[in-house]
Amino acid sequence: MKSTIIKLDNVWKTYKMGDIEVHALQGLSLEVKAGEFLAIQGASGSGKSTAMNMIGCLDIPTKGRVYLESQDISRLSESNLAQIRGKKIGFIFQQFNLVNTLSAMENILLPMIFQNISREERENKAKELLNIVELGDRMDHKPTELSGGQQQRVAIARSLSNDPDVILADEPTGNLDSKTGENVMHFLQKMHKEKKTTIVMVTHDAHLAKFAQRIVQLKDGKLIRGRK
Amino acid sequence: MKTDEIKYSLQNLAHRKTRSLLTMLSILIGVMAIFALISFGLGIRNYMDTLAEEAGADKLFIQARSVGVPGTDANFFVSADDINFVSKINGVDEISGMYIRAGEVKFKKEKKFVFIAGTDIDKKEFVEKAFTVGVEKGRQLKKNELGKVVLGYNYQFEDKIFSKAIKLGNKIEINGNSYEVVGFYGLIGNPQDDSNAYLNYRSMELLFEDIKDEFGWAMIGADKNTDPEVLAEKIEEKLRKFKDQEEGKEDFFVQTFADVLATFGTIINVLNGILILIALISIIVASVNIMNTMYTAVLERTKEIGIMKAIGAKNSDILFIFIFESGLLGMVGGIIGVILGYLISSAGGQIAAASGFAMLQPVFPLYLIIGSILFAFLVGAASGIMPSIKASKLNPVDSLRYE
Repeated sequence: MKSTIIKLDNVWKTYKMGDIEVHALQGLSLEVKAGEFLAIQGASGSGKSTAMNMIGCLDIPTKGRVYLESQDISRLSESNLAQIRGKKIGFIFQQFNLVNTLSAMENILLPMIFQNISREERENKAKELLNIVELGDRMDHKPTELSGGQQQRVAIARSLSNDPDVILADEPTGNLDSKTGENVMHFLQKMHKEKKTTIVMVTHDAHLAKFAQRIVQLKDGKLIRGRK
Repeated sequence: MKTDEIKYSLQNLAHRKTRSLLTMLSILIGVMAIFALISFGLGIRNYMDTLAEEAGADKLFIQARSVGVPGTDANFFVSADDINFVSKINGVDEISGMYIRAGEVKFKKEKKFVFIAGTDIDKKEFVEKAFTVGVEKGRQLKKNELGKVVLGYNYQFEDKIFSKAIKLGNKIEINGNSYEVVGFYGLIGNPQDDSNAYLNYRSMELLFEDIKDEFGWAMIGADKNTDPEVLAEKIEEKLRKFKDQEEGKEDFFVQTFADVLATFGTIINVLNGILILIALISIIVASVNIMNTMYTAVLERTKEIGIMKAIGAKNSDILFIFIFESGLLGMVGGIIGVILGYLISSAGGQIAAASGFAMLQPVFPLYLIIGSILFAFLVGAASGIMPSIKASKLNPVDSLRYE
């Protein structure tokens, strides 16, 4: 039995939009095992992005508990959360979210800079990662000089730079054509197999979700299908 | 780690060249003005220190209690009796009266009104020491010779006083009487003193018939063991009694050379201070400008801040990046400001020297250069504090969603 890396326990998230309270998550409980590739599938408005923010320590729940490797992170301050994100979590976003003023190489270096990793070590690491995502020859290009697929591969390399426990991918192929999208998915699968990285992917696309080992479905902020 | 963030800040500034340059422009104008003003202020202070050192702190003057150029008050004079009286006061080593009148000097059909000074040739060494310069070209006048004149420094150059330069041996006319130029004084550094014409007592008394024994002012050298300040008070008191004048209503006053310099220095400092204050207003404007630029940058880079937070930047990291970037804007503006200020001051010094104000020479001590740049950096960093706090407190989820 593999150990649990992330556990959401009856998590509620309520947003106030004017006078109306919106319950994005309504008692979501979920466990992610170390080394698994999990897809959270749901339509838009199902609360999957909010769920991902909770798993990724970007946000804290209104009610309920979130555990990362059995550490309760539900009441931590933003700076503490930032440290956890920097060390344990790698993000891949739908819009790639690279820093446009920095080169591909520098984008990959950035998370390691915030972790005070020595210059030599992080440069070696960044080069190694760029080679893995097959962009070794594009390291000095700015994101605007790269195609969408290439940008997303830089983002994948960036997400791996601090050897995270979990990679969170939010609609990783949403801004790519289907062929490029599939190529990116193959890269994610490769990471999962070769590096034994835990991957949690959020998507509305049932076809894409099939790349994962396990699929859970979200509706109205609750799980409707799949094991917890 | 900090070096990487410094590099990152530099890249960001370079990325937004136009806006960075415009923002820098506002601070560089202020720094430039302040740098130039202080360099001149320090230069003048240096000049006065040198003057005090060369002339000696043991010099005193008896002058008219009136506003205006010393020695020209027609109702006031130091009489030969006064000088004789003061010379006997204990502590007075030397005293020398100076005749001074306005006169018309003519050279090759050109006429100019200048001051004609009559100096005591018996005491020429003492007088030259007080002037800080002596005759540098030609020779000093002899005690009883007539028809000879020594001119101030500026006469030697064309277009300074007369359109043609005067040379040794040339003839000039003063109030219609002809004189041969036998010498030129060295550079004193202000256009008035450098435009004087100097005669000996005898020539002066012949030229201005009513002037005999009525000196414009007198300079005094104190004994080595006498405090000039104490001596000034003593002379003032005794001379008042000698002239039978009431305290506070004297028609003269006795000043030490240090006092004269201090008064001059205070005036310069006040003037310089006012100008620097005006320049500081431009720094305040620059500060608001930097703040505005940084607020815009925070808004513009909200998403980037979100990204950085998502990949592990702490609030303090973001705060450092933005404050540093803001400080850098100030610092680069400061460096350019110092360079331009240096060029302007140097040019200004040359123009001043060409117009006869050789004393107006700027100086550029290292502490002024480093201080100005540091000041610009601090103004920039301080202006960026509020926008940076805003940036550091942005919520990562909302920032990532920001378009």
